[in-house]
Amino acid sequence: MTGKSTKWNAPALPKLCGADIELGNFIVDVDHPAGSGYEASQALLAEIDGFPRRRDSYSYSGWSGSTYTAPAARNVHSESPTAVGWGYNPQDVSRRYLASTGGCGYIDLDHCEACLPEILSAYDQVAAWHGMLRIVRSALERANEDRPHHQRIQVLVNNSDGLGHSYGSHLNFLISRRTFDDIFRRRPHYLQYLASLQISSILVTGQGKVGSENHRPPTPYQISQRADFFEILQGPQTTFERPIVNSRDESLCGFPRAGEPWAAAARLHVIFFDSALAHGSALLRTGIMQLILTLLELGLVNARLILDDPLVALQDYSDPTLKASARLIGGERFTALELQRAFLEDVKRHAAQGVFEDVVPRADDIIALWEDTLVKFEKGDLMALAPRLDWVMKLMAIERAMEQSPELEWDSPEVKVIDMLYSSLDNDGLYRAYEESGFAEQLVTPERIEHFATNPPEDTRAWTRAMLLRRAASEGVEVDSVDWDRMTFRIRGRYAWPSYRTIDLEDPLAFTKAEAQPVFDACTDFSDLIDGLRELSSGQAASPQVLTAN
Amino acid sequence: MRFLERTNDEPRRQADGDNDSGDNGRLQQFRSQGNQLLAAGDAAIRSALSRGNSEAFVRAGRQQSGE
Repeated sequence: MTGKSTKWNAPALPKLCGADIELGNFIVDVDHPAGSGYEASQALLAEIDGFPRRRDSYSYSGWSGSTYTAPAARNVHSESPTAVGWGYNPQDVSRRYLASTGGCGYIDLDHCEACLPEILSAYDQVAAWHGMLRIVRSALERANEDRPHHQRIQVLVNNSDGLGHSYGSHLNFLISRRTFDDIFRRRPHYLQYLASLQISSILVTGQGKVGSENHRPPTPYQISQRADFFEILQGPQTTFERPIVNSRDESLCGFPRAGEPWAAAARLHVIFFDSALAHGSALLRTGIMQLILTLLELGLVNARLILDDPLVALQDYSDPTLKASARLIGGERFTALELQRAFLEDVKRHAAQGVFEDVVPRADDIIALWEDTLVKFEKGDLMALAPRLDWVMKLMAIERAMEQSPELEWDSPEVKVIDMLYSSLDNDGLYRAYEESGFAEQLVTPERIEHFATNPPEDTRAWTRAMLLRRAASEGVEVDSVDWDRMTFRIRGRYAWPSYRTIDLEDPLAFTKAEAQPVFDACTDFSDLIDGLRELSSGQAASPQVLTAN
Repeated sequence: MRFLERTNDEPRRQADGDNDSGDNGRLQQFRSQGNQLLAAGDAAIRSALSRGNSEAFVRAGRQQSGE
């Protein structure tokens, strides 16, 4: 077996993660019943360079012939009734893959959506996320260059418009197929444990929101932007009756074939969290999930931490006084802080046994940050957390505004504007101002962010995806199609007919820079390059015994 | 209603060796440094409050429901 097979043989898979984030986009001073998202998202995406998913399509449905969907779930990427086959699908329009980073952008239901490349470290994901925001910010500047001021495009990195419409900031994580089945089909306490963790973690991951929506009781301010919109515990859908735990089953690891270890892979699609700008919120969002999913994979589930009524608890925990408690199934009542502390103590105990080694990069740092954050909450020192957590930073900004302008009330439209502009990518953004002034805590360096704005991660298949796109561009090779796990190139033949060469990038943990760079260096002909990468791929195949791991 | 100040008004447990006057001095220093860092944000807040028709801005921000 190769070293790569060892990764797939391990009791817990490396916690590869990805993200797809819908942005709020509109044209200021345009008051239309349907909003101006269509025009704004089109104009924004037009300024982002990339390779279309299909060379000859103006749009493409969520189905990809190279993407396996588990028969039992029968999930589709798109919930549109027109999603099957070719044709216009409002949930995936004009997708383009970036040669710079290996990520992609597209339009989803009139939202410009940014997708990060696959990455292993939560710290690197924070850097890649802010790097992607720089790409979007540059696109915004270009899109606004010739627009009159009153017709400018506004982009908000948030999750609701305050008028009853929500959009997602999704994460996804590599887990074993067995763990996926345990969560959704075999062990209900796994699902409930995961839901309880997610719900209590809004304490450290929420972006904060003025008011309430979706017929929820009025409130001046709440911790979570998305809490109002979750209506059931689990389900595959993402645009209605939103589930706390999403059961979309789309591994993006190609078609499962016997003998290939990544056939035992699944991708957990997480729609629960708010968009995060503050480094602490962003890092804890991904890092805590990496830690808890590892415990799930290892069967280290503490069922005593399960909430009795998760949907009610979510509403209660969104209260910024932090006094609300919720009942666990054992009868005790825990505040969000107390429940987070309980999860953290479990994680610390297992970390001491080394369970996160080779699974969660910088696990100790994530745990230390989580601990420090909870200690500050336990001391009541919220102002110390303002530089680290979005909802606290936003709340601080709004309260400062209300101190400076005593006529403002929580239901004043001006306060809602501050809420919205907290996440603006333009020069009027409050988070941006706090970041540039040095108030916002920096957990990754500006240099690392800039690196990921122009480079792919080196430790996943995203690296080879980006390099192939760059090489194709430089050699005039047409990209016939590109997707997360497969790329096809149209190579000019010696005679009239072109040839099509396909490379399957099914193993998200493979095709790293270390593995593929020698092939890129050795092959000057593009066809030879594809052959070389295919040989690399065939050399990764492990014995059929791998499929029975876990 | 001020959420942050109300939370900070909760009595803190006195740790061993805590000195009230030392704590107050450090708190003042922290607040002064904090205010300097917050100045850029204050400018952004003033800009937001001076936009004009806030209700129109909120209405213009209407989005399609997404995922």
